[in-house]
Amino acid sequence: MIFFEFAKRNLGRHKFRSVLAVIGIIIGVLAVTALGILGNSVRLAASDQLYLFGNELVVFPYGGDTISEDHFEQIDKVADAIPVKSSVDKVIFNDDSTLVAVYGMRTEDIPKLLEKDKGQFLKHGSLDCLVGSRIADDYELRVGERATLRTQKPRIVGILKERGVGFDINPDNAIIVSDKLFSALYNSSGYNLVIVKVAKIEDVEETRKKIEDRLNKKEQVVVVMEMKMIVEGIKNLFNMISLFLMGIGSISLVVAGVSILNVMMMSTVERTKEIGVMRAIGTSQKGILHMFLFESLILGVIGGVIGAILGFGVGYLVDVLILNEASYLFAPSSILYLFLGTAFGIGTSVISGLYPAWRASKLKPIEALRYE
Amino acid sequence: MNVVELVEVTKVYNLPRGSIRALDNVSVSIEAGDFVSIMGPSGSGKTTLLNIIGCLDVPTSGRVAIGGKDISDLGDDDLTKIRRDKIGFVFQQFNLIPTLTALENIAYPMILRGVNGHEERSKELLRSVGIDEKLGENKPNELSGGEQQRVAIARALANEPDIILADEPTGNLDSKTSKALMVLLKETNERGKTIIVVTHDPVVAGFTMKTFTLVDGRIV
Repeated sequence: MIFFEFAKRNLGRHKFRSVLAVIGIIIGVLAVTALGILGNSVRLAASDQLYLFGNELVVFPYGGDTISEDHFEQIDKVADAIPVKSSVDKVIFNDDSTLVAVYGMRTEDIPKLLEKDKGQFLKHGSLDCLVGSRIADDYELRVGERATLRTQKPRIVGILKERGVGFDINPDNAIIVSDKLFSALYNSSGYNLVIVKVAKIEDVEETRKKIEDRLNKKEQVVVVMEMKMIVEGIKNLFNMISLFLMGIGSISLVVAGVSILNVMMMSTVERTKEIGVMRAIGTSQKGILHMFLFESLILGVIGGVIGAILGFGVGYLVDVLILNEASYLFAPSSILYLFLGTAFGIGTSVISGLYPAWRASKLKPIEALRYE
Repeated sequence: MNVVELVEVTKVYNLPRGSIRALDNVSVSIEAGDFVSIMGPSGSGKTTLLNIIGCLDVPTSGRVAIGGKDISDLGDDDLTKIRRDKIGFVFQQFNLIPTLTALENIAYPMILRGVNGHEERSKELLRSVGIDEKLGENKPNELSGGEQQRVAIARALANEPDIILADEPTGNLDSKTSKALMVLLKETNERGKTIIVVTHDPVVAGFTMKTFTLVDGRIV
């Protein structure tokens, strides 16, 4: 197409100026891409380290007491519920004593909530224990060794998979025993929390209401926490961080846009007479408009592509330096920022070219011809 | 047939100092095949008349017909098409497009119109105005003034227009080159093209068949 050819040659006429304009776009796109990738990597890294399960409700006793057996049964009628007893206690592993969380769970519930890395789960009525991945690492524990917990010396039959920080229980830093052993150790009645797994995420809110209606009828007995809301809150937070980082990147893109606007305005003024000639010999307003838009498009595409590639490189460096992990770089959501960066660059460039192109196309041929 | 028909054309420019009547009730008819010159002192309205005939400007009042078509009420797009298809412009400063080669300059109006085989025809036109084909790949700034103006004439002829409008075509050329160029225009006219030349040079006017003289916006 002839106007594309014109655009190419016109940019070639002022190579230095065109290169500077492209550099502006490159820097802007680089900033948007690299910061976008960084924000996304931080989000991915965080979700890897947090246990976020939207289908869960966590029921806590209101006011610090425990949830009674009776109340638990009522919750269990609404939906499949997992009661958890918890305590913090001193445990001795191979002569090292440490404070860890101790969870007492019904043995059949454990596989519903946790995954094992080595060994096996607890058998019914077992007096053995499971340990979380973090303490297994810290104390180099192996299946078959024993822990000392008050008067008991439960054998470690399984080591759990890392789960991340959760809002229900934190098994990574815990020792898990059967409810039977827990009761024997602590002589406790009632549960410290109840975890409810809801089959369908759409039903979470309704289930929560049902539980509240049943238990909090006369006075408040429990507090029901929706994991979904926490999950969403955290997602929002990270989206905002991403957006904020991209916003910082966009500032440099705006600066680049202004420089393109400037370059294009200069060229429309310089080429006024030429535009007059082109119009006189039969070029339409649209033709002139296209010619200038192609110029800004070419600047945008070159700057956008180079900027995105460099941005990916910088994103890699930043990921490696800040997160010590490059794998998030190749996640589809990170790759998306490459295209987003390029699109922003092209968009900025074309938008900056709109006004000059429009102005050039609206020049009156006779006045433009007279321009010296 | 009259290729150009102006009936009681008046053009008024409104300037901050007051309005200027650049053309005052001008009526002109130019027949197909004419070779006409328009003369007059500067400020007499020559260029305004040329702009109106060239569809670059519209009159304040009066009717203008180009090639039998009334253009007085046409919009920008239609006027642009008439300029592209029916009128060939030759300017004092040659005004070739600097980014295009000589051949591309000639081809450009044909490309705008979507003419097939414009490459072959550009070469033919280049030969017909007496330029060596080797110079066809040169950019305008690599050509002499006389060569540029010949290329400009070839460009003006590209879409086989009804009229060639030349505004001081020899104004930037020495007398020898000027004469050769007028000979070329005359030959072009003899091949049947209507040519209108605006000039203040009596030698140039001497090549034409008919001369209109404008004074203060009126034909005298």
